[in-house]
Amino acid sequence: MHQIQTTAKVIANQKVNDAYYLLTLSAPALAKMVKPGQFIHIRVNEGFEPFFRRPFSVYRAKKGQVQIFFEAVGRGSKLLARKKKNDTLDVLGPLGQPFTMPGKGVQQIVFVAGGIGVAPFMVFSDILKKHKARKMLLYGGRARAHTFSMAEFKKNGVEAFVATDDGSVGVKGRVSELFKNIEVAPFTLIYACGPKPMIAAVASFAKERGLKGEASMEEVMACGLGACLGCSILTTQGYKTVCHDGPVFALDEVIF
Amino acid sequence: MNIAVKIGKSVFPNPVTVASGTFGHSEELYSLKEVRCLGAIVPKTVTLKAQEGNPPRRICETPAGMINAIGIENPGIDVFIAKKLPGLKKTGVPVIVSISAHSENDFALMAQKLNAAGKIAAIELNLSCPNLKKKVLVAQDAAATASVVRRIKRISKYPVIAKLSPNVTDIAAIALAAEASGADAVSMVNTFAAMSIDVKRRCSRIGNFTGGLSGPAIRPIAVRMVCETAAKIKIPIIGMGGITNANDALEFLIAGASMVAVGTYNFINPKAPLEVLIGIMAYMKENRMTDIRELIGSIKR
Ligand SMILES: Cc1cc2nc3c(=O)[nH]c(=O)nc-3n(C[C@H](O)[C@H](O)[C@H](O)COP(=O)(O)OP(=O)(O)OC[C@H]3O[C@@H](n4cnc5c(N)ncnc54)[C@H](O)[C@@H]3O)c2cc1C
Ligand SMILES: Cc1cc2nc3c(=O)[nH]c(=O)nc-3n(C[C@H](O)[C@H](O)[C@H](O)COP(=O)(O)O)c2cc1C
Ligand code: FES
Repeated sequence: MHQIQTTAKVIANQKVNDAYYLLTLSAPALAKMVKPGQFIHIRVNEGFEPFFRRPFSVYRAKKGQVQIFFEAVGRGSKLLARKKKNDTLDVLGPLGQPFTMPGKGVQQIVFVAGGIGVAPFMVFSDILKKHKARKMLLYGGRARAHTFSMAEFKKNGVEAFVATDDGSVGVKGRVSELFKNIEVAPFTLIYACGPKPMIAAVASFAKERGLKGEASMEEVMACGLGACLGCSILTTQGYKTVCHDGPVFALDEVIF
Repeated sequence: MNIAVKIGKSVFPNPVTVASGTFGHSEELYSLKEVRCLGAIVPKTVTLKAQEGNPPRRICETPAGMINAIGIENPGIDVFIAKKLPGLKKTGVPVIVSISAHSENDFALMAQKLNAAGKIAAIELNLSCPNLKKKVLVAQDAAATASVVRRIKRISKYPVIAKLSPNVTDIAAIALAAEASGADAVSMVNTFAAMSIDVKRRCSRIGNFTGGLSGPAIRPIAVRMVCETAAKIKIPIIGMGGITNANDALEFLIAGASMVAVGTYNFINPKAPLEVLIGIMAYMKENRMTDIRELIGSIKR
């Protein structure tokens, strides 16, 4: 069996900034199975409203706990924001294909994150803590109200660069303003997660410079298991499901 | 307790199955022991040639349900028989293969290929496909339904199930046409034609513009259709439409369905079919029933 359906107890649900929350769940079996880039599919409510489960990348997984870092944007995520300690949630996971682990020869690892797309890179950087490559996070946020401390990333040996649309924190502009920090050297891997236009910009940058990488994509999901074929996106190899074939795809595989 | 159900010459160990298009790789979630609790497996509809499916977005959430326009994405029947069928057969659970086609000849070709493949419990004809001669679906035209069923019955060595569309004025009339042409059972219902509009963008939420509604939202209509049809036909009905738990499934059985399928709700609770089976058996025990036939069609009028 590759995944499980379990009832997870809320350990903590912490408001991080105006819109972001850090939810900690007790889910020992899940915590052991999770790989960076995989997600969990959460039933945010009993009954039929909202109807679908909601997918969230795993932010951290250790000591029997699984964390997600999420933004309250709509009905489902706002309900999730209201969950309290000792509430329980029906969780399915871990789902999807993880990021490919960089080999020993890789010298530079670049995480490019737009907004809440930063989530999967925490667990990834936890696992890569001992990897000798130069590691950096290029983070693009909307404004100060949408930023958060980079301390945990720094602890994992990741250099963090921040850009905000309004310049309230870091450089003013899109995350692409930060691409200049990337040394264009061989043995570089780029990992991107965020809004589709951002990933498109990363993909075209990577193509221009001949760099390889992967992106975690988003699409509305029903099953999360590859069963309904509802979350398909167009790739160079035809339609592929984000939940089962992805969410991680090679940067040059996705058609924007 | 006897909960086995017969369709044509095929026997299904219990009345709980899954609706086509809603049970894919989720076998990864179950132990083989759990999969073996199903009365039958119905994989996604296959067509003669591979189909790539509709452009995204293919699904959207609606009140107590969803709209889908997947476009029968499938690898084609040859790949299905070579790559997917062996694994399904290995579970030991009877497999009902769902097929669809753009012409009667294509249906016939597929039925022949399935004859050669061997060891299939039944063929389900997904008749929600365009009827090339008229501007309606085959399932919306009694004569076209009858014609396809008759042709496949002549060819197929397996029982033939006609899957009906609810997008008709009188679904029992279509069921009667299928029965008269030799269908061994009818499966009902498929999704209801529907759409959802994003008011902000003034666009359909579905890439294909319209799609099919499923889930608990359609259940009361599906139950009514099964009840009406059961009063008119003698062949078994596989009932579906918004089943989420045993109680929902019992509604269909009491209305006259001989089998029930969990569809959309597999996406919300992959364990639903199992829970439905356990609940049906508990209900029978509670009501001192020893044979599922005491339950089927037991609605008081
Ligand atoms: C693999 C994957 C990982 C994700 N990881 C995270 C994460 O770590 N943190 C986080 O905050 N968000 C993440 N998301 C996005 C998150 O799933 C959506 O924000 C959430 O589903 C929105 O639900 P809602 O009810 O609040 O919004 P509504 O607008 O009410 O949602 C309506 C429908 O649209 C879907 N939807 C809305 N926005 C998105 C979106 N961006 N992507 C996919 N479906 C969407 C919902 O699931 C629902 O079906 C991820 C999405 C995917 C596909
Ligand atoms: C995503 C999705 C895909 C479906 N694909 C098929 C299909 O390939 N063939 C078919 O006969 N029915 C298909 N159906 C219809 C279901 O089998 C079922 O008839 C319908 O959804 C009603 O049951 P439900 O409300 O329990 O889902 C599909 C339904 C959904 C939601
Ligand atoms: S959500 Fe069902 S296939 Fe991806």
